[in-house]
Amino acid sequence: MDPSWPLVIEGWLFALVLVIFVLGLFRRQAGDAVAGWVTLAGLVGLSIAVWNAEPGRVALEGTFVLDELSLFGKRLFMVASVLSVLATQAMTHASFRRRGTEYYVAFLASLLGMLVLASARDLIVLFVAFELMSIPLYFLTGFLKGEKAAPEGAMKFFLVGSISSAVVLYGLSFVYGAAGTTDMSAIPALMATVNPLVLLGLALMLGGLGFKIAAVPFHMWVPDTYEAANTPFVAWISIAPKTAGFLAIFRLYVEGVGEGAVLWVPIVSVLAGVTIVSGNLMAIPQSNIKRLLAYSGVAHIGYLLLGLAAMSVSGVGMVLFYLVAYLFGNMGAFFVVQAVAASEGSDEIEKYQGLARRSPVLALSLLLFLLSLGGIPFMAGFWAKLFIFWAVVEQGMYWLAFLGAVLTVVALYYYLVVARRMYIEASTNPAPIPVPVVLMVAIGGCVAGILLMGVYPEPWARAFMRVAMTLFSTS
Amino acid sequence: MGLSAYLALAAVIFSIGLFGVMTRRNAVGILLGIELMLNAVNINLVAFSRFHGDVTGMVLTVFAICITVAEVALGLAIVILLFRTRRTAMADHVDWLKG
Repeated sequence: MDPSWPLVIEGWLFALVLVIFVLGLFRRQAGDAVAGWVTLAGLVGLSIAVWNAEPGRVALEGTFVLDELSLFGKRLFMVASVLSVLATQAMTHASFRRRGTEYYVAFLASLLGMLVLASARDLIVLFVAFELMSIPLYFLTGFLKGEKAAPEGAMKFFLVGSISSAVVLYGLSFVYGAAGTTDMSAIPALMATVNPLVLLGLALMLGGLGFKIAAVPFHMWVPDTYEAANTPFVAWISIAPKTAGFLAIFRLYVEGVGEGAVLWVPIVSVLAGVTIVSGNLMAIPQSNIKRLLAYSGVAHIGYLLLGLAAMSVSGVGMVLFYLVAYLFGNMGAFFVVQAVAASEGSDEIEKYQGLARRSPVLALSLLLFLLSLGGIPFMAGFWAKLFIFWAVVEQGMYWLAFLGAVLTVVALYYYLVVARRMYIEASTNPAPIPVPVVLMVAIGGCVAGILLMGVYPEPWARAFMRVAMTLFSTS
Repeated sequence: MGLSAYLALAAVIFSIGLFGVMTRRNAVGILLGIELMLNAVNINLVAFSRFHGDVTGMVLTVFAICITVAEVALGLAIVILLFRTRRTAMADHVDWLKG
């Protein structure tokens, strides 16, 4: 079937969910990696289909669109999911393998929610897709229920997540009340007339979405959740649901709104500034690398909001660039953390002492990921930050760009503290860290990603600008 | 009664729910608060739907009710899991409430 038809990819993914589910019924307690390989094969097949899809078609009376932005989202979700499933295959402990099919059913259900969300042009579809994405995430956070922290992390994530869902839905009810329809193409006209109900609704929704993307002051669940959940899953939730949140924000606040979007600039820029400053400052004292990456991830959300605050074609395009750069850098860093934790049994930064002498390749990959996240030239993250600052300066918001640039130095400091441990300090244990082949492939993919984007940023930036253009041209 | 009366009722219920979520220390109590917040949304939706003479809002309400049930079922499962490992349903360690 032609993947350019809307809902074809989603239909195949749903079929894959059913296959894994049935597999689980017949292979109870099998304890091997078959479910993971089937999932991986299915996802690779779907990725090929998504890459071959052409934008432009609409289904279900305009509530489900397959446009440039939704294709961008779907491709990003596919890459993130393939990398995450690859890394999950390296988790060999019996307590995980025994229930592997449950894990993959929930994982794919959440992915299905994201794919639908990327295409939603109707408030009902948006809400249902958001919940389909979120509910399995709570379950997956607490999946390793034998581990002490897992239920607590799941509980916190669940409470914050469902409160934010309630707030989003409350805001959504006001938007519906003002528009009299759930079609999102009615929103721009209402925003232009400064309808108080719509503004109240959209402001509430922005707060709720702020929880989902973990902007300060709605970020408190992030470090606990990241620390509690298994690492390949954390690598995935550090990017995929955040991207979904940004796609929803683009659809609600940017698409077709045109000049009216300027209304949100003050709120978004304050949110961005606060998020960058507090995310970076809170990352400094962390001694656990997953918590450090969690807080640095919050700071990166701030930079993404900075691009959104520009409310321009280049701003939105560069947010997309940043998301992809962040995907490779952040997921790669988490995969290295996974390899080290599997051998050392801990996520403490002290365990990275002398890593360069023990496993030079692993240490070099982590260094590259950290440098990319920190924004050193000729890494993907450098161009991402530069382009974001550029877009912000274009709009005359010099102080925001200045603030972002200053805090980048703070971020480099805590990334380099980890690098110093790896390269300068001597190790107490000279044995190299074993890295399973699947994990090596995932890490290699991420390294290739940041280097490719770092050396040839232009074609990527051009493609993302084209996507951003479609958002503004409909006005 | 006008639309604003229903909206006010929904706002009051939403606020009570939010207050419960913020102040309750028992996880089940927090779940009840979330449930109240979502039901306030349903009142809002049905009221808007009635006053617009448009059934879409009611359809959304049905979706919202179904999803809430799924969400709360998962929430209770997590509370039971927490209770098994910690022997408590108190959200004492949930320090984000204080932050």
